[in-house]
Amino acid sequence: MSRNDSKYFSTTKKGEIPELKEELNSQYKDKRKDAVKKVIAAMTVGKDVSSLFTDVVNCMQTENLELKKLVYLYLINYAKSQPDLAILAVNTFVKDSQDPNPLIRALAVRTMGCIRVDKITEYLCDPLQRCLKDDDPYVRKTAAICVAKLYDINAELAALAEIQENSSRPIFELTSSTLSKLLTALNECTEWGQVFILDALSRYKAADAREAENIVERVTPRLQHANCAVVLSAVKMILQQMELITSTDVVRNLCKKMAPPLVTLLSAEPEIQYVALRNINLIVQRRPTILAHEIKVFFCKYNDPIYVKMEKLEIMIKLASDRNIDQVLLEFKEYATEVDVDFVRKAVRAIGRCAIKLERAAERCISVLLELIKIKVNYVVQEAIIVIKDIFRRYPNTYESIIATLCENLDTLDEPEAKASMIWIIGEYAERIDNADELLESFLESFPEEPAQVQLQLLTATVKLFLKKPTEGPQQMIQAAKDVVLAEKPVITDDSNQLDPSLLDELLVNIATLSSVYHKPPDAFVTRTYLSAQKTEDDDYPEGSETGYSESPGNHANGPASPPPTAPVPDLLGDLMGTDNSSIVPPDEPTTTTGPPLSIVLPTSVGHGFQVSAQLTRQDGQIFYSMLFENNTHVPLDGFMIQFNKNTFGLAAAGPLQVPQLQPGTSARTLLPMVMFQNMSQGPPSSLLQVAVKNNQQPVWYFNDKFSFHVLFTEDGIMERSAFLETWRSLPDSNEVSKDFPAIVIDSVEATLDRLAASNVFFIAKRKNANQDVFYFSAKIPQGIPLLIELTTVVGNPGAKCAIKTPSPEMSAFFFEAIETLLRS
Amino acid sequence: MILQFFVLSQRGDNIVYRDYRGEAQKGSAETFFRKVKFWKEDAEGDAPPVFNIDGVNYFHVKVAGLLFVATTRVNVSPSLVLELLQRIARVIKDYLGVLNEDSFRKNFVLVYELLDEVIDFGYVQTTSTEDLKSYVFNEPIVIDAARMPPLGPASIFMQGTKRMPGTAITKSVVANEPGGRKRDEIFVDVIEKISVTFNSSGFILTSEIDGTIQMKSYLTGNPEIRLALNEDLSIGTSDYRGSGAVILDDCNFHESVHLDSFDVDRTLSLVPPEGEFPVMNYRMTQPFKPPFRINALIEETGSLKAEVTIKVRAEFNSSINANTVLVQMPLPSFTSRVTFELEPGAVGHTTDFKEANKRLEWGLKKVVGGSEHTLRAKLTFSQELHGNIMKEAGPVSMTFTVPMYNASRLQVKYLQIAKKSKAHNPYRWVRYVTQANSYVARL
Repeated sequence: MSRNDSKYFSTTKKGEIPELKEELNSQYKDKRKDAVKKVIAAMTVGKDVSSLFTDVVNCMQTENLELKKLVYLYLINYAKSQPDLAILAVNTFVKDSQDPNPLIRALAVRTMGCIRVDKITEYLCDPLQRCLKDDDPYVRKTAAICVAKLYDINAELAALAEIQENSSRPIFELTSSTLSKLLTALNECTEWGQVFILDALSRYKAADAREAENIVERVTPRLQHANCAVVLSAVKMILQQMELITSTDVVRNLCKKMAPPLVTLLSAEPEIQYVALRNINLIVQRRPTILAHEIKVFFCKYNDPIYVKMEKLEIMIKLASDRNIDQVLLEFKEYATEVDVDFVRKAVRAIGRCAIKLERAAERCISVLLELIKIKVNYVVQEAIIVIKDIFRRYPNTYESIIATLCENLDTLDEPEAKASMIWIIGEYAERIDNADELLESFLESFPEEPAQVQLQLLTATVKLFLKKPTEGPQQMIQAAKDVVLAEKPVITDDSNQLDPSLLDELLVNIATLSSVYHKPPDAFVTRTYLSAQKTEDDDYPEGSETGYSESPGNHANGPASPPPTAPVPDLLGDLMGTDNSSIVPPDEPTTTTGPPLSIVLPTSVGHGFQVSAQLTRQDGQIFYSMLFENNTHVPLDGFMIQFNKNTFGLAAAGPLQVPQLQPGTSARTLLPMVMFQNMSQGPPSSLLQVAVKNNQQPVWYFNDKFSFHVLFTEDGIMERSAFLETWRSLPDSNEVSKDFPAIVIDSVEATLDRLAASNVFFIAKRKNANQDVFYFSAKIPQGIPLLIELTTVVGNPGAKCAIKTPSPEMSAFFFEAIETLLRS
Repeated sequence: MILQFFVLSQRGDNIVYRDYRGEAQKGSAETFFRKVKFWKEDAEGDAPPVFNIDGVNYFHVKVAGLLFVATTRVNVSPSLVLELLQRIARVIKDYLGVLNEDSFRKNFVLVYELLDEVIDFGYVQTTSTEDLKSYVFNEPIVIDAARMPPLGPASIFMQGTKRMPGTAITKSVVANEPGGRKRDEIFVDVIEKISVTFNSSGFILTSEIDGTIQMKSYLTGNPEIRLALNEDLSIGTSDYRGSGAVILDDCNFHESVHLDSFDVDRTLSLVPPEGEFPVMNYRMTQPFKPPFRINALIEETGSLKAEVTIKVRAEFNSSINANTVLVQMPLPSFTSRVTFELEPGAVGHTTDFKEANKRLEWGLKKVVGGSEHTLRAKLTFSQELHGNIMKEAGPVSMTFTVPMYNASRLQVKYLQIAKKSKAHNPYRWVRYVTQANSYVARL
């Protein structure tokens, strides 16, 4: 790095470290202790104090237990980066592990176990073996935990120790005698131990109904525990055993006994309430009788957090019945006038779903919806029209008298889903609307700018209008078309948020775990990076459970690219029949839960049990479409194929989709290699990716994905500083585009630069401008187009400004979106 | 189980950080805070307490303005992790006396020492303040209680006619008194949070009491305690005994409580661990007399005008006072101006129109039992109404604290401490407080 670059780089403040070093070597004990405290404080906020390693370790030989603990804490954090120096501490550890004070013995063993340096672990075995037989139970407890640590660090080395004796037989096997002992221990251990015992026992399968009843009898007192985790684990255990109990009286009594503790979970802190509600959502799908009479406890409190309110709404819908619907509708009506927009929308949808679910209450639900429409709040009106369309589908030719009211609100519709719903209504009931042609014509005025969803509905409605109000044309053609387009349609039901039975079964086995909060099987969000260790420590899969992944290797395109595949053609005929599910409102993905890394592009409810999650990614210079297929249907799926519509960068599959047959309840993951500039679309640039996926058992599924631009950044995007400056000057000023990111905060410069570099946005230089920091980066997209970036911000403060210069300024919107995504993540 | 534990301030500063497994990537705290801060990019909204980013599960609870966060990669019991975070906060509070960012920063070394004993290799070991005393040696640096904001008269403890300020329980459980003298006393709180929803006619739609009997023990020698509740207490509706009975829907207990006598005479036996803990939680939905009645009315008085009338009546005994009463009411979004009219002789009342979120606020410093208070407000709008004005405004919500009152009538009949000698006479302090949780009148 030449001296000319120095003005772009600031130097680290160096006064602090020497001062601490001096204090660490002070002859006064109190001063040394204070110095170590300062080092720990600096370490906590992320400063690099590793250069003080030797000085801190020298403070280790002390009788002062406070000081010793502080030094040990430092060692745990920095031993990995200073392994050779850490060895110097071993003698003190070994000596401390034989100290007369049991606290010091335990502390030494615990600290050695936390230091993840292979050489340390070699010295650890002897002291550990000794401490496992220590007189003091506290030392033995600490040593037992340390065995698990040792296994995690160095499985091979651990095998040489006592673990080897156990590894030839199952480490933890549940038998009826083990069960009995653990149930006895349940009464004697702490609340945390109770949770672990109950979770372990929940995998036990009772031999018969009598044994199940005995187990339940011993677990039931845990329902009165003040710790909510104990209560939930006990509920899980009882639900499992109830499957084996044949007496309806016993089952009914258990349901009655479980209801109050479940409801009491809603009196806990909001965080616990949220977890409880996610579990209750599953429980009421399997055993609705448990809480059938408790709907009032799920009425939203005015000051509930939004994530609690959303879950309560969901459960109210599931518990709504002819008996309680009047009370429930009053509540929904109140919620629909609250301040939070998302909550209001969900309340309106809830009314629609109740109408579909409860036939006798449908008219009352519609009355409430009409009342809400009259309030003239825009997003309420649009949401109401969407659900009314679904009600029309559920009850054809029953409630069309309200169409006139709906038509009064056409001017306010600006959301695609609401427009599409209104257009569907006009087309479906064209013969009852005098000016249907004029209404459709007003929508047609903006046809080119509408999203595909609206365009498709407009085409369908126009054809329907023609068929219902023909002005001219041969009768035979009209009649034939009528038979096709106006055929009777299947009746929809409210199953949009119902879980597939096999998935529900798996989630019920995982009640009181993260799985029941995310509503996903564990393999959907657990990454098995430490496979063997985790199976030992946290093997919570039921026996016979299949692993979630059957990965297919990607097919790399080494030769010339294959001919561009044909763009998929939308199946207009299918939609004319009204059977295409694209017109059914997709379920709201819960906004309160973040899914797995791949975003769901085809939900189970839309794909009739077939679910696709996907994301465009970049690995080793190659672009892949990373996909996860999940089969929540009851039949095997095979013969998977994929096609991509034309898009701005011509992304297309480099080869066929390689996914094996999917058995019900299983999933498969694949990396599909992609090529570029094969499938170019004309018109304005867009980050939309339109995809069609097919299998042999189901019709073609269409979905839209949106790719983040940064996957296109190439590995050769780095520029020399001089080249950067030269390119910046050579581009005209009109090629520079700026944008502000008010919400962006850069707290850690190093972490930010690392993250950008990992996505091929390379750091060039940095300078100071007034009190702001200015960073320069470079990147490239395929075909060698450079991207020059200037980022201005105050580190630690919200707000950043980004300026981009590139030969293709029309791409700036995508560049900004990519940069914002990277900075935000 | 737990990969990391850290505590963040409201600004996202890292105050405490522990990495138990060494397998987490750098910048977890940063990733977490950015996600939580901007969960809803367009509006205010809390992030759910559990979410997943790139395969890492983040759990968080908010306590005293701090974010307590844990991370995992495996499929754990989320309620266990959330309970653990709450419990860690409570243990730290037992040690520091007062939990806030200031006391936390001053005692961060002590906090690290506590964490070392509470969690080992990501597994919870103990959260008992009493157990931890055997292992932890740092003395807490105590924040001067005089520098704390005043808690107000709601927190007076009672024992007969003697009074003790509520700041008594902000002392550290483990710190020695000046001069080395040990305190010998126990505090019992019966705290009830009331949720009531009135409809527009003033009738109760839903009502609920969430109660807790909370104990904070400074007793020496860990004596056994017997705590007696109402003899006619019923749990569940199946064993209804009479019109005067207290009927609870459900209750649960701390694990130190023995229930042998509970079914017979409604007494609890326990050896209370040091520190603060909930002896018993209970819930009640049987109809009860609400402490306040709210009547609210809004009506148009012109093309761009309306008038609001709110009447609040205290339904408890005149010897009891409610404190820090606040009445709030959202107004139509197009309200441009509000003028208030208080009743003659109103003392200690404040009124305000919050322009930012179009809300009317009415504060009453003290409300005497049996009294009634009225507020009138004249609204001026910036645009014409389209529909029913009652749909655009409300509901009226209320917060209050009523000491020496509980709506359920659950009582601590006596609190008996096993004596070691005749000279041993520890102090017993019992406090009843009723607070509003979600107290709402719809228009």
